Amino acid sequence: MSVKNIITRRDFLRAGACITLGSFMGLPQGEGSPANREGKSRVVLVRDKDVLDSKEQINRIALEEMLDGAVTALLDVPDPSSAWRRLVTPSDIVGIKTNVWPYLPTPPPLNEAIRKRLVEAGVGEENISADDRGVLRDPVFQRSTALINVRPMRTHHWSGLGTLLKNYIMFVPHPSRYHDNACERLGAIWQLPHVKGKTRLNILVMLTPLFHGMGPHHFSRQHTWPYCGLIVSQDPVAADATGARIIQARRDAFFGGERQVTPSPRHIVAADTRFGLGNSRPERIDLIRLGWQEDQYL
Amino acid sequence: MRWGEAVKKTLFLLLVTLAAGWFSLLMTRKSFGASLETLAESLDRQVGAWAATGQDGTYDEETIYDYIDGAGEVYRAYNMQGCLSRTYTAAGGEPAIVLDIFDMGSSEDAFGVFTHDRDGKPATVGQDALYRQGWLSFWKNRFFVSLYMERETPAAKEAAFRLARAVASLIREEGRKPAILLGLPQKGLRDRSVRYLHHPMLLNYHYYLADENILNLGKETDALLAVYNRDGKRARFLLVQYPNPEKAKAACSRFLAHYLPEAGGKGPLRLENGKWAATSLKGRFLAVVLEADSRSLAEDLLGEAKACP
Repeated sequence: MSVKNIITRRDFLRAGACITLGSFMGLPQGEGSPANREGKSRVVLVRDKDVLDSKEQINRIALEEMLDGAVTALLDVPDPSSAWRRLVTPSDIVGIKTNVWPYLPTPPPLNEAIRKRLVEAGVGEENISADDRGVLRDPVFQRSTALINVRPMRTHHWSGLGTLLKNYIMFVPHPSRYHDNACERLGAIWQLPHVKGKTRLNILVMLTPLFHGMGPHHFSRQHTWPYCGLIVSQDPVAADATGARIIQARRDAFFGGERQVTPSPRHIVAADTRFGLGNSRPERIDLIRLGWQEDQYL
Repeated sequence: MRWGEAVKKTLFLLLVTLAAGWFSLLMTRKSFGASLETLAESLDRQVGAWAATGQDGTYDEETIYDYIDGAGEVYRAYNMQGCLSRTYTAAGGEPAIVLDIFDMGSSEDAFGVFTHDRDGKPATVGQDALYRQGWLSFWKNRFFVSLYMERETPAAKEAAFRLARAVASLIREEGRKPAILLGLPQKGLRDRSVRYLHHPMLLNYHYYLADENILNLGKETDALLAVYNRDGKRARFLLVQYPNPEKAKAACSRFLAHYLPEAGGKGPLRLENGKWAATSLKGRFLAVVLEADSRSLAEDLLGEAKACP
């Protein structure tokens, strides 16, 4: 009986902390992300309280302005056009990886805004596709040279948090095989040949995040709130870590005391320490705040 | 002749009565929770101000993913046979109530899926019920029932409970809990901590053990995970029933090899976090103290665990 290559709780105990397991297991540090692993990762948090009306319907113009402001600040360029031309070239074939979860999907106006900016940057309409569960069968995704990753932040039954990192689980044919240990191995998906190195931009939608889930559907409107934000970064780990801090702070405020996300979203730290996809620690994140400052939870 | 006719008449009436009785009994069983179909037929489509809208949804172990995304795995891991979904809506800005009835195939697995999430306040519906803000769940016989409100209002909560009781009354008979529960030590048991499961993925959800199935858990094994608190000392305890003693022994060996290689089957072992872990084999039962605050607590729990029938 082989006793090798099985990771157990004992390994975590020996390492002294669960979150650093990967780095102690001799696993390779990953490549393939534009995230700045040597220095800090830039993350833009942009908020506009008028992006949602009283019925939480999206103001498209305000949302486009948020996206424009975020990418401009992220890439430190004078205008959104310059930013998008830095992100993609006319020869790119771009897959926009969305999320179709019915209770909290990627907002269609945001998909449309991204598509519009890609076309303005010279990408052919026929070379752009937005998809979620069909990415492995989508001909544009199959030929893609670039990916834009966009999804709402929410709590999640298996991974603790539904994150940008988690959003790529549809790039594997059997997603459930990544559910063990709170989906800690999600970072491995980002190393697959058809994914690795393609992601140009990550947009974590924080318009009405879900901070607590329950029941078979894992959703209740009363556990969302109009945060009216987007978190934008080239580093998915830094963006997710920033979003996770906001979710945790909101939970603590709502429940009147510390109430940890369950299960712990350890895939975020593992994506940093085990898979080398980006920076999860706040001191390694250069956070730029734009727009509405009230109740930022950061 | 007249006597003979009277006998015939009596016999005929007796046969008719017996036939009617059997027919009635069959109809009763079929009408009261025999299947998701009969529940759907029998359940009122109007509950106070709430009325069922649209067609009922029905899902099997494959299509359940289309309905509840990744959480469908939980129900599959408890051998879900089918799910009936119905949405009730009301006017006046009241939230919708989503009713989901899961046929788990056995009362043991209905109990099991109920133990997957034990947050909330106990309620009196079915065999066990819990209420959290906006979500009521209960189990009865082989059914696990969930009623979810998009947001909680007093009227919606009242309607949800009324609907839940209507469902529970249609499931006429109660079901039994897993027999393995009898094997748990009782002293200091935190009742709400008990999880009944088969699948290693669910064990890892509640208590991460390993990235492989080192206890050989599966559909043919029953497992209980429980927390104990005795005199301020805590322990996490696992009891697994295998199909036969040979499989229990093999699982114990595999677990020791991967998780407690230093133990050598010689009593509790102190883990790196200062807690104690140990195993004990009793026929086809494997008891595991995953972590205990003291050596004596680990030994006591192993000693008290019973190999129930």
